Parts: sequence; C-alpha cells; structure tokens
Amino acid sequence: MKYRKTIGVIVVICLICISWVTGNQYFKPTPVKLMVPKGWSEPVYDFKSNPLTKEGIELGRQLFYDTRLSKDGTISCGTCHQQFGAFNTYDHSLSHGYNNSLSTRNAPGLFNLAWQKEFMWDGGINHLDLQPLAPITADTEMAESIQNVLSKLQAEKEYRRLFKAAFGDEKITTEKLTKAVSQFVLTFVSGNSKYDRVMQGVDTFILPEKLGYDIFKKKCVSCHTEPMFTDYSYRNIGMPIDPFLKDLGRMKITNDPMDSLKFKVPSLRNVMRSFPYGHDGRFFSVMTVMEHYRKNMVPDPRTDPLLQNRLPLSNFEIGQLTAFLHTLTDTSFLKNPNFAAPGKGISTTAPVDIHN
Amino acid sequence: MTSSVQSQKTQQLMIHFQNRFGEALLVPEQSYIMYGDTITINRFKYYVSHFELTNEQGKKIILPVQYYLIDAADSVSGNIILNIPIGQYRSIHFLLGVDSLRNVSGVQSGALDPLHGMFWTWNSGYIMAKLEGTATSSQIAGKQFTYHIGGFRGNNNTARSITLPLSVTNNKVSIITDAKKWFERPYPLIIAKEPVCHSPGTLAVSIANNYVNMFSILSQQK
Repeated sequence: MKYRKTIGVIVVICLICISWVTGNQYFKPTPVKLMVPKGWSEPVYDFKSNPLTKEGIELGRQLFYDTRLSKDGTISCGTCHQQFGAFNTYDHSLSHGYNNSLSTRNAPGLFNLAWQKEFMWDGGINHLDLQPLAPITADTEMAESIQNVLSKLQAEKEYRRLFKAAFGDEKITTEKLTKAVSQFVLTFVSGNSKYDRVMQGVDTFILPEKLGYDIFKKKCVSCHTEPMFTDYSYRNIGMPIDPFLKDLGRMKITNDPMDSLKFKVPSLRNVMRSFPYGHDGRFFSVMTVMEHYRKNMVPDPRTDPLLQNRLPLSNFEIGQLTAFLHTLTDTSFLKNPNFAAPGKGISTTAPVDIHN
Repeated sequence: MTSSVQSQKTQQLMIHFQNRFGEALLVPEQSYIMYGDTITINRFKYYVSHFELTNEQGKKIILPVQYYLIDAADSVSGNIILNIPIGQYRSIHFLLGVDSLRNVSGVQSGALDPLHGMFWTWNSGYIMAKLEGTATSSQIAGKQFTYHIGGFRGNNNTARSITLPLSVTNNKVSIITDAKKWFERPYPLIIAKEPVCHSPGTLAVSIANNYVNMFSILSQQK
C-alpha cells in the first residue's frame, strides 16, 4: 500500500516531466537535404554548422528579397541578383546602389554556392555565412549598418515569428541573419541543363553543340573546369585596368603584386542568360568576350601563362562554342518558383537577351 | 607541460585593463600632447583572448578559449574575470587579437559578432585592434588618423602573444594598455606621413610590432 502510493507519486512526476519536456519541443524545424546532382563532388559548405531547414530557407528567402536590409529601404539582395539572369545583375555592368551610387563590380550570378570556398571576384570573403555583410554595409550598395538591420527586423512581429520558427528563438542576431540567407542561397543548385542531361545519357547534342563541346575541351576547359565550369582560381586574362575603377582584383586581398588584375574564373553555367560579363561588366555580349580572347586582350607578364599568346579562335569555332554555351542554360533553375520573391511567383516575361 | 582546467578547485582572477595614453588615463575625446602634436583619441578597441598562466613550477595552464573586446568607451569591457585553478602563478599570457582559426570559421557571435565594427566584410577577417582620433599634424580630411590593424595570414599576421609577470598570488591584476606605444618602437609611426591603415599588409604588421609593447602590469594588490 505504502509502496503503491510512492510508485503512484513517481509515475505522476514522470508524466509531468514528460509533458514538460515534450511541451518544450515545439522547436522542430523540418530538415531539408540539399540535392547534389549526379556525379558532382560533395559540397564544401559545412552543413553541420548550419543545417538546412524548411523554416530557415523560407526565412532566408524573405530576407533575400527584403529591401529593409538597405539604408533607404529601396535595395534588396534580389535587386542586383535577379533570378532570370541566374541571379546576376542582368543588363547592368555595375550594380546600382544607395543614393544613385554605382558599385565597382558586376554582381555575379549565384548558384552552386555550396561548392564554393571563397566569394566575390577577388575571393576576399572566406565563408558564405559572411558574404551578406559586405553588400549590406558597402556605401555603394545597401549602405546600412548591421545593427540597424537587426533593429529594423527585430521590430517586425512577422520576422520575430520567422526567426523563432527557423532558430528556436525570437532574438535576431547577425549570425542567424546571415545563416538564414546562406540557407536560401545554398538551395540555388543549377545542374539540370542540356549539357547535364547529355552527360547523364538522357539527351544528345546536335552537331554544332557537339563540335562546340570538342573545341571547349581543347581551348577553355583548363580554367572553366567541368562540372562547375570554373576551377575557382584567380587569373589575369589581359583585361587592361579601368582607369576610373583602378580595380586590382585579387591583389587587393593578398597584397601580392603577382596577383595584380587577377579575378575569379566565373562559371559558364547559364552564361547565355547572364550578360554582361567580366568583373566590371565591360563585355556586353559573349561575342565581345570571344573578341577579347582572340584579339583585344593586352597580355602582360602577369597574364595567365595559358593566354600569353591570346586564345586563337576562328569564326567557325566561335559559332560552335556559342552553340555549346547555350546547352549550359538551366531553365528549370531560372524558373524555379522556390527561388522567386515570396508571394510573387516567377517572372514569366524574363527579358530577352538581344546582345548575344 | 600543459594542462587544461577541468574539475579542479578554482579561484577567480579579476583582470582590469586600464587604458592609457602615456602616463595619463585614456579618455575618449580627450586631448594629449605627443611630440608637440595635439592628439585626440576617439576610439580605442582591441581583442584579447587565449589566456594562459604559468605557475610557480613552470607548468602552463591553458584556460578555456574566450574572446573579449575591450573598448575604451565602455569601462566595463576592461574587466575580465577568469576562473583559474587555485595555485601560485608567475606569469600570464594572452593573445592580443583573434586567432587565425576564428578568422576562417564563418559568422561568429558574442564579442566576435561582426556588428561590433571590428570585422572587415570585404576581406574577411577581424580587426585585432583599432585606434582612431585626430591630430594637428594630420594631413587628411578632418585632421584624422585611423588605424584598423588586422590580417591573420602568414607574414601579415597582426595578432600578438603577450606575456606579463604575475609576481604574487592574488586574485586581482591591473594591466596597463598604453596606446601611445603604437607610435613609438620599433616602428616610428608618424601621423603626418601615415594617417591611415585599413588593410592587412606591411604597415599593419609594423604597427602590430609596436602595439605588442603596449601592455604592462600596473600593480598587484594583496
């Protein structure tokens, strides 16, 4: 009898504990696994430090398209990273920033970021989670302070709810902010172009594409390495310095004169949909890029050894190469509604690129 | 011989960083005379981390890694309390700055939160120490000088290991941080010539070789 009472009390205490513990388990974000295209290496991003969740990705999407991240509330990440241009600044050589300012570089496309270790044209940023801080605080971009962004978001009931859903707590911090943006942009995987389907054996190149691919493998692939179509190295391709921008590229980060005018090799995925080209957007079409390589480049001793004699290309080769480059367009990526601004759906009237 | 602090009996060590400019206390927006130049310090901030102690037996005690941002404008930030094993110590060691690992580990929180203005967003890395102000000799806009000292790679590393004597066993130690040392030895930093340092490189390393000398023990109270 006595024992039964004690046992009864213990059982009741256990039940209370269980209900208390389960009651506190309301924070259960839904895990999401990154889709890795067949044949690709494992991502370099450390997902253990920032596991993808449905809630985190959704929060990141809200933030990516929120103009409140800028000082005057007019510029979001999405302003200069437009989905129909593979998240580049479509049709703009340099990005437009706060108070009619112009930035100094062309906003690159955003995709396959989970495989990338360094960011920006000069590789100055060494972790994806740090990347959003640069455009937010740059005077010629969003021109806002981190503290102000956090205060503005903290004041919004909806954001407090979204942060709690994603990270278990309403307090908005730099770390949660940038990790949420990382989660969203990490889902930008572009690996379903015609090229990919051909490699998987479910599609075939037409003749010009096939000839273009052969030329590509002879003349381009050492820097634009498959399957990312970049080896993520920094190279000087004989682009003379712009006298106004005076942009020394990688040298600004390493202080090494040998790195003068070196910039990151851009991926060629979606290249036909992401003009203009070059770190300062000086090339308005793929044709001008080809002309640069075969004729206009100004090699100096620091120009890449592979390009010391420029890159001879015949008109025929340029034609076939261009046909091949078209196979790198990934329409399912460019039109994926999950990447579009929340509540807006994708733009069905993406501009037609008349420059190629 | 090293060991870390685990389940040992501990005592508290209270460290107070007292910021100075030469002999005078450093007070933001106050003026000081240096080589006939009138200097006003507006900002003086630096990271300290990786505290270690050497005991009387010469054994090194490594304390759990913590990062502290000391800001002359916030007197509380200069007070640090460490839990250390009970014992007698002859010296204290710490890192001025942030180790290279934290510079490459993505977004951080607490003292290392980039919102404290001690992080370069365009060239990932911490500003180890920052000294800003105005000087009559300065030849740039607003008569300013701004020294943001950072860089963590190889020869450009600006974090510095500091060792100071701890002569008696007690639980309080005051460390003087003399910002004037930034201008003195071994690199004669002349504001009129070099009013700005905002990136890793040779100048930053030269200044780091000066600020390594800015710490000394004030006094030991029983």
